[in-house]
Amino acid sequence: MKITLSMKLLFLALIFLFNGCSDKLVRVMPYEKEHFADPKMSLSPLAERAEHEGHIFLIREASAGGDSAYQGGCGCR
Amino acid sequence: MQIIKSFFIGLMLMIPFLKTYASELKDSASFGFDTYSDNNDVQVYSPTFELMKTISKHWLVGIKLRVDAISAASIRLGSSPSLAKPDAQSTASKRAGFDDVRYAPTLFITYDDGENTATVGGYYSTELDYVGKAIFANYTRQLNQGNTVLGIGFSQSADTWSPNNNRTLPKDNRDEQKIDLSVNQLLTPTTSIQFVYSYMNSEGFLSSPYPYMIQNGEFIGFENYPDTRTGHAFAVKGLHYIDDANAMNFSYRYYTDDWDIDSHTVSAEWLHGINDNWMIGARARYYTQTGSNFAKPLGEYSSSDKYVASDYRMTSFDSYDFGIPVTYKPSLESPYSFSFSIDYYWTSDNAYIQNWFGESNIQAVYTTIRVNYEF
Repeated sequence: MKITLSMKLLFLALIFLFNGCSDKLVRVMPYEKEHFADPKMSLSPLAERAEHEGHIFLIREASAGGDSAYQGGCGCR
Repeated sequence: MQIIKSFFIGLMLMIPFLKTYASELKDSASFGFDTYSDNNDVQVYSPTFELMKTISKHWLVGIKLRVDAISAASIRLGSSPSLAKPDAQSTASKRAGFDDVRYAPTLFITYDDGENTATVGGYYSTELDYVGKAIFANYTRQLNQGNTVLGIGFSQSADTWSPNNNRTLPKDNRDEQKIDLSVNQLLTPTTSIQFVYSYMNSEGFLSSPYPYMIQNGEFIGFENYPDTRTGHAFAVKGLHYIDDANAMNFSYRYYTDDWDIDSHTVSAEWLHGINDNWMIGARARYYTQTGSNFAKPLGEYSSSDKYVASDYRMTSFDSYDFGIPVTYKPSLESPYSFSFSIDYYWTSDNAYIQNWFGESNIQAVYTTIRVNYEF
């Protein structure tokens, strides 16, 4: 499968969609977020493993990418 | 030694991993020790140190130090060494006790005001025949009362080869750019989903300077790849809270590039809280990729070929990973926490692996251990 311009535009459209439909995207109220504060609720529950295996998969496989700086959390401050 | 160079090359696409959680900045320090060992006698020992210090309510500076000490002295050449051999001169980079040692410090500064988080930094790595330099930045913004998080990340590396076999490379640089765009959305009080798109572009000398191909007694040439590569990755990831003791995460990634390598990666992990102190889990990962458009079956290369691959990563194969993570926190108030993980990784059988290593596939065990302290 090749990446087409339309696919890139679709992704950008998703970003604008998420940014523009605020009411529909407030699906969880602040008082309902306690579970997202649980250490188990992380895309990388062991950050050090994620970093180490990231190295290993890069040297053992020919693919990369799909990473985000954001790994989860409750937004509770 | 091709495997050693491969280990370092692999690091260059890696943005230093800086987790961003929607939580308050904290001072912390951690010590760790990572290992990697496989059935080809490659062993890697990586002590790590990380220090994060807040300098105000919204600002934090951090430093990460990582050393990769690699031992691969007994790499076997395989049962068909006449097809592809590593250049023996690469062992000139040997140091006492290890075949090579890589030092990689990372410095960064983070701003976080609750809705916006931004990090900029740089890293530098050095070894005898390779210097890596990179800058990186990422930004996340919370919207919709924290239900939506947009993220963008960027990294640029500018690395330099200086091979110790005195080979003059057509180019001695290796430059890479990477852009990550992400959207994270809460779906329910127990479920969230994330979409990620990554754009990657590489330019320069993208193969290893050491391996070369000999076929039926004829010198075919050094390993040589195209000097540009553009890749795209799409990923979807999810988190689901099952109950107070159990949660799971999953991910799928599709990757494609202009060398015609396509891959699919699926991963799922279950985490179980035994009590307030201990958490254990299980993770399974499957990966499959196609070969590059210039890799040929072994024995079919000719000296007129523009591109030559001796690395199995340019061919099609599958891989599997099964791992167990464990974390321990003495008490909820304790500033200390401990974590440990062990994973078993193996590939499918592959003719290139057989030719190079003399094993039908690669089997590896890797571990991590950390002590974290918040102050």
